[in-house]
Amino acid sequence: MKNPMPDESTVSRREFVTGLTALGAVWLTAAACAKEAPKAVDSSASGIMPMANDSTSVPQALTHFTAEQAAELEAIASRIIPTDDTPGAKEAGVVYFIDQAMQTGGVAADQGPLFAAGLESLAKAAAKQHGATSKFSTLSAEQQDTLLKAIEKTPFFGAMRFATIAGFLALPKYGGNKDFVGWKVIGQEHTYEQKPPFGWYDQPDNQKALLGRVL
Amino acid sequence: MPQTQTKGKTFATDTAVDFVIIGSGIAGGSVARELTSRGFDVLVLEQGREVPPEDMEHDEIGAFMSSRWTNPPETSPQTFRKTPDAKAEKRQYLQYARVVGGTTFHFTGNFWRLRPIDFNEFSKHGAVAGADVADWPITYEELEPYYTAVEEAMGVSGEISTAPGEPRHSKPYPLPPLDVTGPGVLLEVGAKKLGWSSKAAPMAILSRPYKGRQPCHNCGFCLAFPCEWGAKSGSNWTMIPDALKSGRCEVRSNSYVRKIETDDSGRVTGVIYFDKDKTEVMQKAKAVVLSANGAETPRLLLMSKSNRFPDGLANSSGMVGKHLMFNGNVVANGLFEHEVHGHKGPVVTRITQEHYVPDPSLGFFGGGGIDMRFDVPALIRTLGMPVDGPEWGSEWKTRMRNWFTHSAAAYGHTTSLPVATNSVSLDPDLKDAWGLPAIRTTFKDHEHDIRLYKFFQDRAKELLGAAGAQKVYADPIPDEPGSAVHLLGTARMGNDPKSSVVDKFHRAHDVKNLFIVDGSSFVTSGRGQPTMTIQTLAFRAADHIAQFAKRREI
Repeated sequence: MKNPMPDESTVSRREFVTGLTALGAVWLTAAACAKEAPKAVDSSASGIMPMANDSTSVPQALTHFTAEQAAELEAIASRIIPTDDTPGAKEAGVVYFIDQAMQTGGVAADQGPLFAAGLESLAKAAAKQHGATSKFSTLSAEQQDTLLKAIEKTPFFGAMRFATIAGFLALPKYGGNKDFVGWKVIGQEHTYEQKPPFGWYDQPDNQKALLGRVL
Repeated sequence: MPQTQTKGKTFATDTAVDFVIIGSGIAGGSVARELTSRGFDVLVLEQGREVPPEDMEHDEIGAFMSSRWTNPPETSPQTFRKTPDAKAEKRQYLQYARVVGGTTFHFTGNFWRLRPIDFNEFSKHGAVAGADVADWPITYEELEPYYTAVEEAMGVSGEISTAPGEPRHSKPYPLPPLDVTGPGVLLEVGAKKLGWSSKAAPMAILSRPYKGRQPCHNCGFCLAFPCEWGAKSGSNWTMIPDALKSGRCEVRSNSYVRKIETDDSGRVTGVIYFDKDKTEVMQKAKAVVLSANGAETPRLLLMSKSNRFPDGLANSSGMVGKHLMFNGNVVANGLFEHEVHGHKGPVVTRITQEHYVPDPSLGFFGGGGIDMRFDVPALIRTLGMPVDGPEWGSEWKTRMRNWFTHSAAAYGHTTSLPVATNSVSLDPDLKDAWGLPAIRTTFKDHEHDIRLYKFFQDRAKELLGAAGAQKVYADPIPDEPGSAVHLLGTARMGNDPKSSVVDKFHRAHDVKNLFIVDGSSFVTSGRGQPTMTIQTLAFRAADHIAQFAKRREI
């Protein structure tokens, strides 16, 4: 079949993020070189309970960006996935995901200039509209959103949006999704086992009401 | 760091082993299992690595964005063009897993049998202009015992349907259907309302403990992920372990075959491969079974040219690499009132094949089936969310959360026609990291296929609507093809050596001790899910190959 995975084909058809999935694929390649040594299979629990290394959180520290750059990146990410009644990009440590992706290997480093230039250009826009001492991160949410709307079709914003979602939802070993907070927000559990009924429709009573029988 | 899987036997390179099998996927693994069980020595060469269970992570970036399991563009680049007159551009178009187990290492597990009509479409429906539709040299009835044997070997979960058009099954499925998921119930709701037939999806995933393996634990990381439980019946969890247990099999991973060697008489003498250090090794063999998938199989044949076989091995017909088919694949998404939670459980649990053979007056060839699913987990599902309002910020975040818990997708899986110019060939310029010619794909959908895709997308939307979707989303059918994962037809089977590469027993017409067994053998694409038929062909081929060997007819 044509690839059913809505990665390249679906996303690339969307004007908003044209080309960004490919970009993400490139700069995430290096990030995929996992730092963690795999843990052994724990066969003691329930027969063969697999315990892969995806439960680990990576200690969050910056190595690619400066603290100042990181503060700006975090401010942008926090407008893309804001903290509201549930945690957002900030709580997920998205900025550490971006930092880790940039640091490892040569391929990710290639995207450093795009992010650096994007930050610089945004800083100029902030200073121009709100005074020389203003930084993007010190503006109000409304002011920030106005500035971001003006650049939302740029490669930098597209890459930031992509990275923010990836940093929110990729495994913690990539630097973000701290303690699986992104998964919790959308309802994805970190587990190797689920038990039915899974949702509303497959509950036996609802099946009976909908179908007259239980499958 | 051991280079190879050390279980099983170890064969010397300078002594001819009974069979060298190239590829450890569902075809190669099955041939290995079936030949070792009949007393033959078998060496399986796999270009990828062996992945231990502790590395089988729920890693979306690895699975979808960084070729953790698949052929990586960094070392194995490809090119693509739509038509033979165009210059091919660099693009990773064909995808397959490059690990022990092949693509079944991370497949979805859809295990549909084909039906009698899939083997004699030319006789039933006649020719289609611009395509080379032909009957298979075998029938459904010839394959039926092997379908049954495969279901037993794999522990396929399912339930025989009595709907019109269903093929004959000589035995019930060995395991009952998997636990139904939200999308599965929604498919049934829609099908009931529309009066369409529907059934439990036949799946190569265990619903109960079977042959010492664990059943599905419904973790939800399935399509594109390996199964850490061993419940999804990939070759790495089933065929390969069975072959190794025989004591007559060695699986040599990280072994990338670059040439099948022949002597002056035209017989295969062995293979030359690169080991993990890129050192060339010559392995002698009495016979070779090529099961490298619909892309790598024709590529290796084309790379194995010699004075005697100037156009590539087994290619006197000129058919090697031609008639590449994928199965059409269309999708529509729906948002529902209540929580679907399709991210739990297997990808597919119920299907409809109501439109397996649509009315010919609709003006297109072929047909297919539809499933309802939630196919990918958190990150990829979110990135694939349809545009419907702001694309970031609080409102978008609310929509993202609702999308994850309340959506389901209807997928149509269909025929694609065999078109001679749709092909795998050797790129004249681009080389891979071993200095070998890159795969060049030429592919353009036949006009019938486009009409068929549109028909199936309309049915998918109709099904979602009937299931109660509050909103239905569908992208237009792209006029530019995407990437592809079902790789079929590139060394087609037939009785006539002038128009096919292998005979009905998968023996190359041109080379007595070379057999080609994988998706490349398909004459026509079938209607949706080919993996079970690939494996069934492998079971049948191995049965005949063993008989030939015993009669010294190889």
